[in-house]
Amino acid sequence: MDDLLADFVAETREMLEASSGEIVAWEADPSDTARLDTIFRFVHTVKGNCGFFDFPQLEKLSHAAEDALSECRSGRREPDRALVSAVLAIIDRIGVMTDSIEAGEECSAEGDDDLIAALQPGEITSVVGEPKAAAPQQAESADGEDDAAPKAARSNGVQRSIRLPTELLDEVMKGVSDMVLARNDLARRLREAGEQPTIDGPFDRLSAILADVRNAITRMRMQRLEHLFGSLPRLVRDLSNELGKQVMVDFEGGEVELDREMVEMVRDPLTHIIRNAIDHGLEGPGERIKADKREIGLLKFAARQSGNRITLTISDDGRGINIERLAAKAVAAGIYSQAEVDAMSQRRKHYLIFEPGLSTADEVSSVSGRGVGMDVVRANIERVGGSIDVASKPGEGTSFYLKLPLTLSIIAALTVGSDGQRYAIPRSYVEEIVFGSSDHIDFAEAGDRRLITFRGKRVPCLSLTEILGTQADDAMDWEASTLVLVRLASDDIFALAVDRVYDHEDVVVKPIAPAIMDTGLYAGTTLLDDGRPMMLLDLPSIAQKHELVNEMRSATRVPEEETAEQRKAQPIMLFTGLDGRRRAVRLELVRRIDTIAREAIDIEGSRVQAVIDGAIYPLAGLEHGELTADRCRLLRLSDGDSEIVYAVREVLDAAELEGEVIPSDADAMIEGVALIDERPVPVIDGHALFARHSGGQRKAPPLSCRLPADSDWARTILEPLVEAAGYRIAGDGDEESDVAIELAEAPAVAAGPARRVIRLRHEPDAPGDGADSIYRYDREALLNALKQARMGETA
Amino acid sequence: MNDLLLMCMVAGRRAAIPAIRVQSVIEIEDITPIPGAPTFIRGLTALRSQALTVIDCSVALGFETAQAPPDQRAAVVEIDGHLYALLVDAAYDVGEALSDPIEVPGGFGAGWQAATRGMVETDGGPTLLIDVEALVSGPVSQAA
Repeated sequence: MDDLLADFVAETREMLEASSGEIVAWEADPSDTARLDTIFRFVHTVKGNCGFFDFPQLEKLSHAAEDALSECRSGRREPDRALVSAVLAIIDRIGVMTDSIEAGEECSAEGDDDLIAALQPGEITSVVGEPKAAAPQQAESADGEDDAAPKAARSNGVQRSIRLPTELLDEVMKGVSDMVLARNDLARRLREAGEQPTIDGPFDRLSAILADVRNAITRMRMQRLEHLFGSLPRLVRDLSNELGKQVMVDFEGGEVELDREMVEMVRDPLTHIIRNAIDHGLEGPGERIKADKREIGLLKFAARQSGNRITLTISDDGRGINIERLAAKAVAAGIYSQAEVDAMSQRRKHYLIFEPGLSTADEVSSVSGRGVGMDVVRANIERVGGSIDVASKPGEGTSFYLKLPLTLSIIAALTVGSDGQRYAIPRSYVEEIVFGSSDHIDFAEAGDRRLITFRGKRVPCLSLTEILGTQADDAMDWEASTLVLVRLASDDIFALAVDRVYDHEDVVVKPIAPAIMDTGLYAGTTLLDDGRPMMLLDLPSIAQKHELVNEMRSATRVPEEETAEQRKAQPIMLFTGLDGRRRAVRLELVRRIDTIAREAIDIEGSRVQAVIDGAIYPLAGLEHGELTADRCRLLRLSDGDSEIVYAVREVLDAAELEGEVIPSDADAMIEGVALIDERPVPVIDGHALFARHSGGQRKAPPLSCRLPADSDWARTILEPLVEAAGYRIAGDGDEESDVAIELAEAPAVAAGPARRVIRLRHEPDAPGDGADSIYRYDREALLNALKQARMGETA
Repeated sequence: MNDLLLMCMVAGRRAAIPAIRVQSVIEIEDITPIPGAPTFIRGLTALRSQALTVIDCSVALGFETAQAPPDQRAAVVEIDGHLYALLVDAAYDVGEALSDPIEVPGGFGAGWQAATRGMVETDGGPTLLIDVEALVSGPVSQAA
């Protein structure tokens, strides 16, 4: 059964049970308004849920009961015994229907109308209606008893579910986590005690069981995103009604599972984003029609799991973020200066939406724009270890990308050592790990700030010992340290020098005492396998403390990065040529790597071609050696228009071309020699390669050439040559061809006008008038003539 | 007033912790220091796979750190869901409070004044009743 439906059944049952007492009490005293309210809430909820699930019968019943009850609540009608009975009959009927829904069978609508009619005030039949109303229900339950056995058998197939308080679940989770730690402790002690076959066997079994239980518990804590999505249509409906807009919602990836707690944590930020989207993003119907869009706006939610993270995308097809106005507001609010804003990239400007105190809405509506802004959303998302990003196109819409860890309590961590102690760093922040001794790391000092140069960028560097105050900075042996490059959610990067990096581990994070929290250094604690506690570092807070994320820096960061981009190394691909020597080609040229059979390569003299997927490509690279016997590895290179393939022995690696390429005149086919990993590597000159092999035939529209129409020789032998020279063979339909080839001995039949005529003769030696004719097998002369013809045309 | 109290020695004085708050008294073997944390926090220790924050009571009361006795006894208390190990000079027995906590004119000294709820009479004589919440928030100088 569908999860949602199971929920609905469970909820309805639960309410039925809870309200049965109320119903009896109400029956005893119909004027008791508190009871009335409870029952009203029940039918109201059922009605609401029915609308969602499309149970028209159920909806009709609950709606009728709700109407009657609301009349009573508003005082327009006095509840009397007849009404109570009628409502009770309906509630019973709801119970029966719920059972049928669970069992997946149809429930007959017979008698429903009588039940509804019984609700009408002053209806004489209402008193009679009671037994009558009860009748079908009775019949139903009698039926039920008859086939109780098959029904029970059937419901075995149905997944039974129970509802549990989340605290209990958390309690169990905590217990299992502790059990795992206790097991680890025991495992360590057993190891210390040496081999003990009588104990080791059962212990291994215990470990396996525990792993299973842990898995199951983790799954228990997971919740399908559907649960979150389920509440959104209503929210969207309410908001769009309030704002006079029409909004359609679309969901994707509801089956993605997320930690319950996480689901709760994203609920508020999500609500806020939806509010913003409906209020500011989506236009009113009129404006949408003017903009040539559908009258109804679209709000789309998509969830996707990648590894241990979930990406949740919320996109609207509204007007997009007005970045000019956003930037102007940022300037007006004094957050940035005009110059700073001007220097920002588009992306960075979009990111302004997350600055505190900014809102693009000019008018504050009842829904959004009241102080709580996207900055709070970002803060909330980041607090749970997630990140948020935005993309927007004017007139087309805005998308928010939420990246969330799967769970709150278990995180992937990198354990590092400092001063003899271990610390954990959330994996999500770790960009890269490099050794301080490595050659492409330079340490530098600017004032008191230590910097490292890495990949052409200067990155501030902190040592963990200094951060923790365990060792003075001067005593630090930087070269011996390992650097962890940390990228914060705000895109700020810094390097953290640690003594060594131990391992990747999934750790169960527990909260720490407030007094330790106050240090701003730690985010939590976790226990190592040997039972010793280990602190989890709070990197964003550390960065804040050391002023690595202040406004000035983040404002200047972008242009800095852009200039760095220009200097940035160009990617190249390393390979060994057929002669076994290392060579490199710029990665932009490489379209793909093919492996083809030797038969697909055709070599004849200097003409070398390869057939890949039914297309013929010129083949280069053979000048370095022989092809291998059976299979050939080819790089397919492209200059954007044409493609050629380059034979290699082996594709090695992608690398970065950091230094300059030293030009070399010795070999026309190489651009120069570059230093890669301390070794000289010739870089293939793409320009020369394409110039030689692709022939540039496709540059101009092909000229047409008329051939003698009635000659077999012309058709079978001449035609391919002319085509290879880049001409199109003129058909009969062409009025005027650019070139015409005529056979000298045949009478000049003017098949059509031509701008230039080439005459071919049969004999090698010209019989006198050789100046204007070419021997028909004088390939060079013929091609020359064709070439001249083309030059003349294009000049 | 017949509250049960855990009698202990803190900074060379007789003190008592309400027994109802104390989950257990443990001997601390191994403390993982927390660099950067205030000095009254000695570090973390593990108890049945749970991490306890170890509070040095002497320092928390504003005294110089006590001479670490060979057997480091600590009372385990839970405050706001966090477990703390209150490190004391010595832990004795559980005794009964013979009076309500009372204030003494002139106070008990700055550190004691902030982290105690007053003086109670016990079988062993006047004893200061420790306010665990105040204790774990650190010495007066830092709290102020």
